[in-house]
Amino acid sequence: MMASMVANGSRDGQSLVLKGVDPETCMIVFKNHWAQVVKILEKHDPLRNTSSLSSLSVINLSSGPRFGPVPGDEANAVQNYVEHMLFLLMEEESGQAGAMGPILEFVVMENVMERLFVWSLRREFTDDMKLEQLKMYEMLVGQAHQPLLHHKPILRPLMMLLSSCSGTAAPAVEAELVLLLNQLCCVLAKDPSVLEMFFHTSEDQGATNFLIFSLLIPFIHREGTVGQQARDALLLIMSLSAENERVAQHIAENTFFCPVLATGLSGLYSSLPTKLEVPGEEWHGLHREDWLHMPALVQFLNSLEFCNAVIQVAHPLIRDQLVSYIYNGFLVPVLAPALHKLTLEEVMTTTAYLDLFLRSVSEPALLQTFLSFILLHRHESVHILDTLVSRINTPFQLGTVSLALFRTLIGLYCEDVMLQLVLRYLIPCNHMMLSQRRVVRERDCYSVSAAKFLALTPTCCTPDHSPPPLRQLESILFSKGSEVAAHTDSSEKKSFSEKHHENSCTIGSELYLDVSYLHYLYDAHLGISSCIRACQVWSAQYDGEDPPPEKYQPGVLEEPWLKSRQTQMALKRVPQPLAPRPRVCPPPPRAEPPSVNQELEWDDSYDVCQMKTAEAPVESKPPQLPVSEPPRHIQEMRRTAIMLVNGSYNEENEFQDDVMVYDLVAKKDAREVEHGGGKPKGSESEDVQPGAGEVSLKNGLSLTLPAAVMADNGKSSSDTKAKVQTDCNSNVQNTTALELGDDLLSQYEELIRTLDTQAGGKPVQADGESKKPVSPLEEEEEEEMDFTSFSAETPEAEKVQLPFGTKFRSGSSSRSQSVPFTGPFVSVLLSRLENMLSNSLYVNLLLTGILAQLASYPQPLLRSFLLNTNLVFQPTVRSLYQVLASVKNQIEELAATRTDFPELITAAQHWMLARETLMAAADKSRSGGGSTHGEAGGILKNSPPPKPKAISLDRTEVFATVLYTEFLKELAAVAQEHSILSYIPMEE
Amino acid sequence: MSANTSRKQRPDNEEQSGHGEQRASPARLSLGKKQLPPIPKNATPITKPASSGTPAQSANGTHASYGPFYLEYSLLAEFTLVIKQKLPGIYVQPSYKSALMWFGVIFIRHGLYQDGVFKFTVYIPDNYPDGECPKLVFDIPVFHPLVDPVSGELDVRRAFTKWRRNHNHIWQVLMYARTIFYKINTTEPLNPEAAVLYEKDVQLFKSKVVDSVKLCNSHLFDHPKIDDPYAISFSPWNPAVHEEAKERMFTCKRRPEDHHKGMQVSGLSWVKPGSTQPFSKDDSPPQS
Repeated sequence: MMASMVANGSRDGQSLVLKGVDPETCMIVFKNHWAQVVKILEKHDPLRNTSSLSSLSVINLSSGPRFGPVPGDEANAVQNYVEHMLFLLMEEESGQAGAMGPILEFVVMENVMERLFVWSLRREFTDDMKLEQLKMYEMLVGQAHQPLLHHKPILRPLMMLLSSCSGTAAPAVEAELVLLLNQLCCVLAKDPSVLEMFFHTSEDQGATNFLIFSLLIPFIHREGTVGQQARDALLLIMSLSAENERVAQHIAENTFFCPVLATGLSGLYSSLPTKLEVPGEEWHGLHREDWLHMPALVQFLNSLEFCNAVIQVAHPLIRDQLVSYIYNGFLVPVLAPALHKLTLEEVMTTTAYLDLFLRSVSEPALLQTFLSFILLHRHESVHILDTLVSRINTPFQLGTVSLALFRTLIGLYCEDVMLQLVLRYLIPCNHMMLSQRRVVRERDCYSVSAAKFLALTPTCCTPDHSPPPLRQLESILFSKGSEVAAHTDSSEKKSFSEKHHENSCTIGSELYLDVSYLHYLYDAHLGISSCIRACQVWSAQYDGEDPPPEKYQPGVLEEPWLKSRQTQMALKRVPQPLAPRPRVCPPPPRAEPPSVNQELEWDDSYDVCQMKTAEAPVESKPPQLPVSEPPRHIQEMRRTAIMLVNGSYNEENEFQDDVMVYDLVAKKDAREVEHGGGKPKGSESEDVQPGAGEVSLKNGLSLTLPAAVMADNGKSSSDTKAKVQTDCNSNVQNTTALELGDDLLSQYEELIRTLDTQAGGKPVQADGESKKPVSPLEEEEEEEMDFTSFSAETPEAEKVQLPFGTKFRSGSSSRSQSVPFTGPFVSVLLSRLENMLSNSLYVNLLLTGILAQLASYPQPLLRSFLLNTNLVFQPTVRSLYQVLASVKNQIEELAATRTDFPELITAAQHWMLARETLMAAADKSRSGGGSTHGEAGGILKNSPPPKPKAISLDRTEVFATVLYTEFLKELAAVAQEHSILSYIPMEE
Repeated sequence: MSANTSRKQRPDNEEQSGHGEQRASPARLSLGKKQLPPIPKNATPITKPASSGTPAQSANGTHASYGPFYLEYSLLAEFTLVIKQKLPGIYVQPSYKSALMWFGVIFIRHGLYQDGVFKFTVYIPDNYPDGECPKLVFDIPVFHPLVDPVSGELDVRRAFTKWRRNHNHIWQVLMYARTIFYKINTTEPLNPEAAVLYEKDVQLFKSKVVDSVKLCNSHLFDHPKIDDPYAISFSPWNPAVHEEAKERMFTCKRRPEDHHKGMQVSGLSWVKPGSTQPFSKDDSPPQS
């Protein structure tokens, strides 16, 4: 009550009154008050021993008064006196040279605070009482003119009060407690010498060494102000720990700070929605406007941000421990299984979360944790990265969201990421002809590559085919210095300059330039410069010599350092008995963190396959350079696709075509329908509720990872666990197939039809036969076929049963080290790019954005691979240019067959232009400046696109054509800027 | 005279030549301010967008609108090559008006032409790199067998009989311009008098050279021959103007680091040098 009165503003009046009053008078008043208080105190003290605190331990804090009630008027009297005394104490200035003022000295000598605390314990120690005391100290700590906390007689009762509040649940008390703790931390931050006092005082109590810290821990993950204040306070201590080894050690060894933080993430994660509602097709990731409406996600991000901040400021000891707990307590046990959930929706959601987390984390150490999880961790012995890459090829939203994730990843300028995704496949330089290695570092002095890219511009999209408002063409005056003409053969000049004047001269005919190209150049300039700057911290040039191609040893990727580190940590960390045990409360696990065993892994069967082939005799396979081989699932996918098309497309190294793969899986699943029909369905999995939507999702899943499905039958009994899981998997399919047999088939057919419609111009599809919806009859024929003829180089021993019961040879040996492969990431990107015409606009925007970003990297290996059109590759390697050329052909064919194509193009251009303007406006209003030119710059914003007027977004081929043309300009601009920027010597 | 080429104050000081260390970004094509070079001959200009209505695969038309960009970037690339070469005693700078005209100055530090400071202009043909070799013209015709006594043009063609793209670069022309002052060649001279004197009466030749050098140096502070914001001009040493610039030149070596600190874009790497493994750095775990 006394404090609340103070808080109500009477203090101001008081201090004014006190201003000029001489200190001696104050002292006298104070003593008088105290004498009155002591009188009442002693009257009610059963032991009459006011100075001893030994009684404290006997007092049962929570029970009622022990020695008879204190009359109300007496209690009020004490309160009034104390209130006045506190004012006097607060207002007192410290004495000469920092000595205690007389009042403070008196307080310390007489042990005033402690006796007052005991007094309040004697009365009913209710929440109200605690609140009162907390406020009193908060006021004292916050407003006293002289440092008080250095004095044990003040500090000790404070600590007792704090520890008595540790178990409180009343929100008001908690709020006040956190506020006080926050204030104490502020004092600590300003004056670290108090720290010692806190430690010593705690020792006296036999309590946790660092009570204020332990008390804060339970509030780490709170939402609202309380949580924020607690986190702020903890951060203050964290930065204190950076300088104070003892604090750091204490926190790392004697508190649950790091585990609470990390497991808290897991707890918060488990309460996030497992399925996101996707607002529209263009949606590809969680952005601010999305997550602001999701309280659970906001809370998670707050905690993640807090981890980030802790890692930033805390002592390395704490930092390392936290990072390792996050790895082993959140990423591996929670996020990894979540990334491998059963339905597309769930997996898509987790991917979007991961993307958001990566974008939210800024501290290198924490980023490293996330990245090493993605790059090195194996879930069910498959690297997370491989799984993520393979999902780029999924239809539906998952593919789009996966693309967005990779957009984030490659935007980090992280050498490790780029190494794993692309560079390690390029280092050996066997994607190009041997003689070409020197070309890698060559510069394109005369913009030859840019010209080649621009020459791919489809006829229907050349500038002279677009009406003026769309062309954004402006006449640019060409001028030349007068001297030029004077010194060159004038006959040459005549052709386009009759006469010109000194300064600016208009040449007879104006030349129209594509102004948007200037913007692309500008963007490319910015992109490449920042990339070059960022990559200065990289360890190597990646220029075909450093690292040396011959010495490249892919090696075995190890699970990161965190594991061993963690075990060490665990051994060292003997939990000590903590007296007032900090209430470690990882946020209530409302939903259990997904348990690995119950989850049906959607593509783990891939490992089964891998393991099996690993056990198989591999005589012919050269042991070195496993990296030159694509991951097995991709090999399988391709191989099967090739076989399926049966001769129409048997060029081994042409990358697999999606549609063919879908076809294949469709056939395979169709078979499963038949086979499943005969099976008893006893072992139905419980989690499966075969609703129609659910089923189609699962189909989508198996669709996307044919290798996984194929492996179902190919698995052996070598790994029982995996076997169980894959069994479940096939059961799911069998079950659903049983219930919805024909429906399923027609769904597939539908899907394949839609996938096929736009792919008319593709060389691969010349054979219409192969993509016809499969009837069971044809299936039977396929079964009879001997596929061995297509893989003659494979040893007999490696035959694996295929789902269709066909003899099939594993692809394990098909790739020797000499077969060039530019990596699954590049392959899958190019493969999707080739299908540009049937991709949705948003997928294409992401795709071209990623490729443009990749092309901005200055590393000669990457640059030459993507942009140098003069480089001669191995015949089996597909280059970006080749793929673009193939897209051009598709477009030209399409344009030739459709008369309305030009109008459609114009409509699409209008639409895209409107969208661009809209986004630029939104951008400007958001950031107030920072112009983004060109499509590439603005793509990844989430602003609602304008409604297309004359054209439906379903006309993907039209939008793709427009985007394709823009993409060519973007690439050309990047190539041109490289020819200058990448060669500027960067002097250190 | 100041040791450094102290140039006329320019409003836009972005374009500087010569010193390799001075900046990370080359002359950028800035809109509006700088005009594009003339249209190269091989690119037929589009007269009117509508009039070129022949839809028949107008690949040429597509190219034409980008032709100026190719030329501009070819020249920028040449310029970055010059910077990279760090030619001793040679400084060049493209003109403000046209990327096809470069201003330069050459300092001769020993030999017959010692102490000579010769300003020159390089003219690049507008069909670069497929045309003739660039021309190099001294502002004041230096007394030299290979320099035309009237026009001041250096006989470059004898060194580059055929200009070959990818093999010949402008820095080579500059290098050649420097060489002639140290190694005198008298065959097929543009200035027969100088050639004959050099062969017959070296003493007289030397004195003529000294006179020529003196003449050139006496015109050093003249207004540039070509009125261009980026033309190289000299002025007498004036501490009020030049001291600060000199200071900056000597301190600019430290700048890249400072640059680095304030830079927001920073890459990440935990790859140990010499390794190709991710997270292979010894201090890979976050240890300071």
